[in-house]
Amino acid sequence: MLKELRENYNRDKFQFILTDLTGRVVQSDQTLLSVEENVAIGEAHPFFLSIPEIMDAGRETATFHCVQLGTPMARLTADIEIHRKKDGFLIVIEDLTQHYRSYQKMAQTRNESIIDSELIVLKNHELQERERFKNEFIQNFSHELRNPLTNIIALTNILQRTDLSEEQLGILAVLKDSTSNLKLMLEDILSIAMIAKGKLALNPSVFNFPHFIEFLKLTYTTRAKEKGLAFSVTTDEKIPEYLEGDRIRLLQVLTNLCDNAVKYTKEGTISLHVALNQKRANTASLRFSVKDTGPGIPPESLGTILESFEQLGQTEGVGLGLAIVKGLLDLMGSTIKIESEVGRGSHFYFDLKLQFPLREPIRPAARKHLPPTKAKAPAKDTQKYRVLLVEDNEQVQTSLFKSLIEPGNFFIDVVSDGALVMQEVVNSKYDIILMDVNLPNITGDQLTKAIRAFPFKDVKKIPIIGITANSYKAQIKAYKKAGMNAVITKPFEQNELLKTMQRLLK
Amino acid sequence: MNISKKIVVLGYFGVGKTSLIRRFVENSFSNDYKVSIGVHIVKKTVQVSTDDTVSLILWDLEGTDDIASVRESYLLGTHGIIYVFDVSRPSTFQSIEKDLEALAKKVPGVPTQVVGNKIDLVASEEVDATLTEKGISFDYLTSAKTGEKVNELFEHLAKILALDAERIKGKLQ
Ligand SMILES: Nc1nc2c(ncn2[C@@H]2O[C@H](COP(=O)(O)OP(=O)(O)OP(=O)(O)O)[C@@H](O)[C@H]2O)c(=O)[nH]1
Ligand SMILES: [Mg+2]
Repeated sequence: MLKELRENYNRDKFQFILTDLTGRVVQSDQTLLSVEENVAIGEAHPFFLSIPEIMDAGRETATFHCVQLGTPMARLTADIEIHRKKDGFLIVIEDLTQHYRSYQKMAQTRNESIIDSELIVLKNHELQERERFKNEFIQNFSHELRNPLTNIIALTNILQRTDLSEEQLGILAVLKDSTSNLKLMLEDILSIAMIAKGKLALNPSVFNFPHFIEFLKLTYTTRAKEKGLAFSVTTDEKIPEYLEGDRIRLLQVLTNLCDNAVKYTKEGTISLHVALNQKRANTASLRFSVKDTGPGIPPESLGTILESFEQLGQTEGVGLGLAIVKGLLDLMGSTIKIESEVGRGSHFYFDLKLQFPLREPIRPAARKHLPPTKAKAPAKDTQKYRVLLVEDNEQVQTSLFKSLIEPGNFFIDVVSDGALVMQEVVNSKYDIILMDVNLPNITGDQLTKAIRAFPFKDVKKIPIIGITANSYKAQIKAYKKAGMNAVITKPFEQNELLKTMQRLLK
Repeated sequence: MNISKKIVVLGYFGVGKTSLIRRFVENSFSNDYKVSIGVHIVKKTVQVSTDDTVSLILWDLEGTDDIASVRESYLLGTHGIIYVFDVSRPSTFQSIEKDLEALAKKVPGVPTQVVGNKIDLVASEEVDATLTEKGISFDYLTSAKTGEKVNELFEHLAKILALDAERIKGKLQ
């Protein structure tokens, strides 16, 4: 009984075929393939056409797994054994269609997923290449644009000092405005490209936090007022006075946020708030937040608003501000968060961990403000002074640097961009400023006026020495009127400069 | 005269072995990917000269990323090999040289055509540059999708095999 069942079961699964040595069918079951006797077995399926080659050189047996013998209509996947017999071949076909069907499914899934992940890697690689190329291009391109723009700005400044009619002055004002906007945009694009290329490195140093905030307050109160907006600044008083971080980059983040707030808000208030989340050992966690009463951001745009070039096409005049914010915060290990409600306003905030020195840093300038304890006061000739040298011409920079380094009692910082002077002056205490009057984007007298208008006593009184190639009496008088304490004309003797400095540092 | 020749088509999975054969045999193409398992065999006869035809018995093997795992029995008695890689997927031509060496050991002296498929996906100058840089030599760059160089490939191999057969016959006589 069992034997019979087994035979029945097996009968359906196997086919036995006998052929002669040329492959002609001698005898066959008709279970799986229909095979005619006396016909070449190759007619049944092309697999069998190769039997002579396969069994070449007296091979006794050969086994083939997973041979597709069926048609798309009637699948048949089989293992095939070929045995050499005395005067021909025995072919045994075993139907394993079911078994191989699950194998196929597995292989399908595996291969597809391997190929997919390969293609994703390739695609990413290609995107990265493109992104790299784009950034490279943008960076080079903006560098190229910088030079002519610098010339335009410089020439505009010179033009402004010539004899002009009311109308011409008006036109010039617009021209200056446009070029300075252009310059800012260019700087933005450059920053983005540098961030994207990973070329931007943070440059942390200790800075005075109240001064830092005061600078923002000053800048944006005026800006907001021009648009009829209010600007409020509040900070937690427990925030340490000195913090360590990349002040310039932090400033860039906050100015971008404030710029946007001012730009988009039509009425109401923009508020900058800095809260102390936590203070531990020598680290302070701060939350910076900028709130506006502008139009708000629709929820569907919240995701894309931070993407760099995404925005360019969308709203006219939208800079790369937020992308820069995102990139810079990334660099500082923080992320920007946005809460916004259409029609009510937006709230941008981020948390930043900054170290703070446990003692107030001792700076030469700070020493000056200590009560005069004569005994401890250093001897006059060993006293060191901090000098800010504002000069864009590299040659002049180097020669001045040499003159100042020789006496050995000056710490010298060099700034070549007028725009950075204000920040430098507010954040580090300088004892004296040497300033080229012909800076590319702002003139020395304008800078001097701005410094003299600062609300901080120690800043507004810093002695300023102007350096100029212009020796007209009237011009020199004008510089002094702007607030310079002395003006030295090029070329000058090293001694003359040092004497003037000593006189002013007393 | 008609001779029949066994040709094994192999290479990494998904490179287009099945598609090349299908283009050659049925002149059709599908974008769908159905993974082949084991071996599927088809026959197509090629005219190599006015009097002679070669019946190519094409063994379309399951793709693998390791030539060592190709079942030995599939290679038994083969007259020709077509080694296919995918020009758009570097992983499929990373170890060509090694694979060809391994094959030459398993089935010595068998004429082999090395084929870069899917040339429709990549600029051919780019492919040329990449392959030259890697020191990979190939016989054909094909596209099963557009049909580019597909017939040429099979017909060329058929001719090589026909010539081989002539030579052997000549020796025997
Ligand atoms: N664009 C393009 N796609 C192709 C070409 N050849 C094959 N394909 C596609 O590539 C995928 C794989 O093709 P197959 O012919 O199944 O590849 P295979 O080498 O037989 O794959 P396995 O049997 O798994 O080893 C399918 O989606 C095809 O449509 C080609 O020349 N160009
Ligand atoms: Mg296949």
